[in-house]
Amino acid sequence: MSEVKVPAAAVSGRSGSRLLSRLVQQRATLFWAAVVLLVVLAALLSPLLSPHDPLKGNIREGLLGPSADHWLGTDKLGRDVLSRLLYGARVALLAGLEAVGIAALIGIPLGLLVGYLGGWPDRIAMRIVEGVMSVPFLVLAIALISVLGPGLTKSMAVVGVVYAMTLLRLTRGQALAAREELYVDGVRVAGAGDRRILFRHILPNITPPLIVQVTLMIAGAIIAEATLSFLGLGVQAGQASWGSMLSDAQASIRESFFLALPPGLAILLTVLAFNQVGDGLRDLFAREAKGGSLGVNPVHHESGSGQPPPPGLVAADPLLRVRDLTVSFPQPGAGRVTVVQGVSLDVAKGEILGLVGESGSGKSVTAMSLLGLVPDPGRVAASAVELDGRELTGLSFEELRKVRGGAIGVVFQEPIASLNPAYTVGDQVAEVLREHEGLSRAQARARVVELFEQVHIPEPDKRIRDYPHQFSGGMAQRVMIAMALACRPRLLVADEPTTALDVTVQGQVLDLLLELRAETGMSILLITHDLGVVADVADRVAVMYAGQIVEGGPTEDVFRRPAHPYTEGLLASLPRNVRRAGRLPSIPGVVPPPSAWPVGCHFADRCPYARPQCLETPVELSARGDDRATRCVRAGELTLAGVGDVPAAGEPLPPAAGRPVVKADPPLISTRIEKRP
Amino acid sequence: MLRMVVLRLLAMIPLVFLVATGVFFLGQLSDVDPAENIVGPNATEEQVAAVRAELGLDRPALEQYADWLSGAVRGDLGESLYTKADVTTSLTQALPITLSLTFGGLLVGLALGVPSGIWSALRAGRAGDRAVSLLATVGQAVPGFWLGLLLIIAFAIRLPWFPAVGYVPPGESLTGWLHCLVLPSVSLGLIAAAAISRQTRSSMIGVLQQEYVRTALSKGLSKRRVVVKHALKNAAVPVVTVVSFQVTTLLGGSIVIERLFAMPGLGALAINAVVRRDPDVIQGIVVLTVIVIVLVNVLLDLSYAWLNPKVRSL
Ligand code: SF4
Repeated sequence: MSEVKVPAAAVSGRSGSRLLSRLVQQRATLFWAAVVLLVVLAALLSPLLSPHDPLKGNIREGLLGPSADHWLGTDKLGRDVLSRLLYGARVALLAGLEAVGIAALIGIPLGLLVGYLGGWPDRIAMRIVEGVMSVPFLVLAIALISVLGPGLTKSMAVVGVVYAMTLLRLTRGQALAAREELYVDGVRVAGAGDRRILFRHILPNITPPLIVQVTLMIAGAIIAEATLSFLGLGVQAGQASWGSMLSDAQASIRESFFLALPPGLAILLTVLAFNQVGDGLRDLFAREAKGGSLGVNPVHHESGSGQPPPPGLVAADPLLRVRDLTVSFPQPGAGRVTVVQGVSLDVAKGEILGLVGESGSGKSVTAMSLLGLVPDPGRVAASAVELDGRELTGLSFEELRKVRGGAIGVVFQEPIASLNPAYTVGDQVAEVLREHEGLSRAQARARVVELFEQVHIPEPDKRIRDYPHQFSGGMAQRVMIAMALACRPRLLVADEPTTALDVTVQGQVLDLLLELRAETGMSILLITHDLGVVADVADRVAVMYAGQIVEGGPTEDVFRRPAHPYTEGLLASLPRNVRRAGRLPSIPGVVPPPSAWPVGCHFADRCPYARPQCLETPVELSARGDDRATRCVRAGELTLAGVGDVPAAGEPLPPAAGRPVVKADPPLISTRIEKRP
Repeated sequence: MLRMVVLRLLAMIPLVFLVATGVFFLGQLSDVDPAENIVGPNATEEQVAAVRAELGLDRPALEQYADWLSGAVRGDLGESLYTKADVTTSLTQALPITLSLTFGGLLVGLALGVPSGIWSALRAGRAGDRAVSLLATVGQAVPGFWLGLLLIIAFAIRLPWFPAVGYVPPGESLTGWLHCLVLPSVSLGLIAAAAISRQTRSSMIGVLQQEYVRTALSKGLSKRRVVVKHALKNAAVPVVTVVSFQVTTLLGGSIVIERLFAMPGLGALAINAVVRRDPDVIQGIVVLTVIVIVLVNVLLDLSYAWLNPKVRSL
């Protein structure tokens, strides 16, 4: 027994106080709990509160409207509606408690038992549950009431038995899960001691969903009581129940419609209150993810500093020109946090620019913001986003739509998740062509086959009819690339295009990108955390850290002589350098969250060269030489270690090259070979 | 695909058998004696016994069961002890009424629930979403028959647009049939709409966060196309599951609604049969509902296959 740690008590103690504080925040739940309490009080105190006898009335005072004596009027037989309503609360709650009590007494122990035993008792029990639950609740209740005979107690017992099935299933599922867990932990489940552990293990898991379920069931049982009483299968004729009151109201509906209101509203309010408390409790135990809505956001125009960025980030003949790009998100309790701060960069025509950084550096958000694809509460602003001379800031969603998938193609990280599982890949690629170029179905199809050939998907005319789940990751990424290329874009944005793929496949996809660049002359903005990928294909590199560009320049220069301590750290963790140093240096720590970024150098808390002056004022990007930029106050005095002498990569490709240089020459740092043994 | 349908239909047989057997033997446990009901409260012991013998109720339970079962497999579900009406005939007369209501309710539920759920999901967290969610929450707490009562007051009595009670068969008058189905379908359907709306909203919110939705946007498609083509088909699977629950609920709910609107459907049969215990009728109703529900679920399974290509290729 001592071998299993059951920290349930300790955990529930801590989480108990946390739940309590969250409950206090849920004002609505507290409000509805108060409504439940009021109904309970009304039921308990109905003999004291009722102004009249609920069962006796003077038939000559029938169908009176509300008055001082009869606040809610009288029914056809002259009985006081308010008194009947109060007594009805009693019937409703007792019925709810009876049904749920029976359900709990039958369902929970049986569920624990069959879940614990497993095997054939479990299978038989679940068959029965399945059979019972396949019959509509009301039909089943009626069939069972026909056996027991009508009457409230009997009817609600039947409802309880039906509800027990739900609780049985729930408890059994939890018991099974707990049992699995214990087996996995290598604990024998035998003997009284272990059985006690099992139940102690299950109960903390099962209590929250059970509480929620039971609360919702009381609500269901109250409706069931009203329904059965309305049908004459519940309370005895004449007795006060909300259901039978509605039945009476129907009988005199042509004379007085008011009678239908009080009992109906009473049911509505009570059921709503129980439901809301149940939902509130569910939220307490597991919060629903907020969000939704489409992730679209235009790029607002905001005038920036007007200062040109330092060399290394600018190009002479830019296809894409980004200035002062800023992305911010609202954060509860912290106003807005800026996750991308003043990013300026150029991508030259035909160039591959690598945008590098760890996760959390803001590199993907930067790329997505250019396309207006930043999730909803975010805000994107820039002083300029020019594509081939055309200003994209200030464009509406509709105007930007022609650019997305047209002049700019996008490839994402997870190819299979990025394809819609419900449609064939051919359909999804053809859709772009039909949307942007207005091709007919047949024309689009022919062009898709061509595109598939271009990205080397074997048997293209067959594969266009396949669904994404029938593709390997590498092939799916080729589909994504074909989709991005469909309208002959000038710029391809590739967001971690190889990260999710196998090492060998990574190389093939990179080769394909180089090949396509050579064929089409498009530019590529390559976002990656992998410096090896950058070394393989990028002409120029921009390094991002914590929302800022910290270094930029030609790939080879930056790799040989990094000018920023962060770049040095990244280079040091490359496989080749690791091997040389014989240890695994990675930069200690992680990128801090945006709300914790300091005024001064964002990298200061992880930088081995940090000095007090680094934190004093914001660090600006400054030029280094005539083609480099860095954001470090000590840039001039530090000599940082880079990668040893190796041949260059990213040289202009020979015009007719079938295979790119990267394959022919030994690459700067070949991740494809060295990443994994 | 065809194999799946056939398999599902075959799997239905043991379920129906199980349910019918369960109901039959539970009935044997009952202390309500139909014979006593028939001869009335003042009859002597002998009179009751005579009636019981005449009805065959004194035979051993197993023999009665075998008798019922052998009839049932041939489509003969016995007869009512009270009216002597043939159960199969009564059921075939009542079923279309109940199915019209169920289907009408489902139609209302889908027509309101799906668009409102999508609309709500697209502005999750904002005022419009909160308003729809509130309506859906209230809708789930409303008892259907009360809603029906209010509808009768408003649209049959105050504004005499629709009949308050009664049923017109479509063979008699098609417009009359549609006319008399409006109020009951709405009272059934609004509650289903609440559940469908909630489910559509939450699965739509989930799907909108998927990467393929971002891909669809990155292709430059219009918002409408992204939502209607790319998101909806994927969000539909859990919605279909809820719809299949709703069919069960609606079928049950139509019993009460039939009573409220005085329609001679399965509900009327069921309630009379329950009050005086008419075993063959009850059994027939239960068996029939189970069959209807299983058939509906087979249909829904087919729609899963259409919605999810992975299921299809299995
Ligand atoms: S500014 Fe200071 S802390 Fe920042 S990178 Fe340079 S040396 Fe390190």
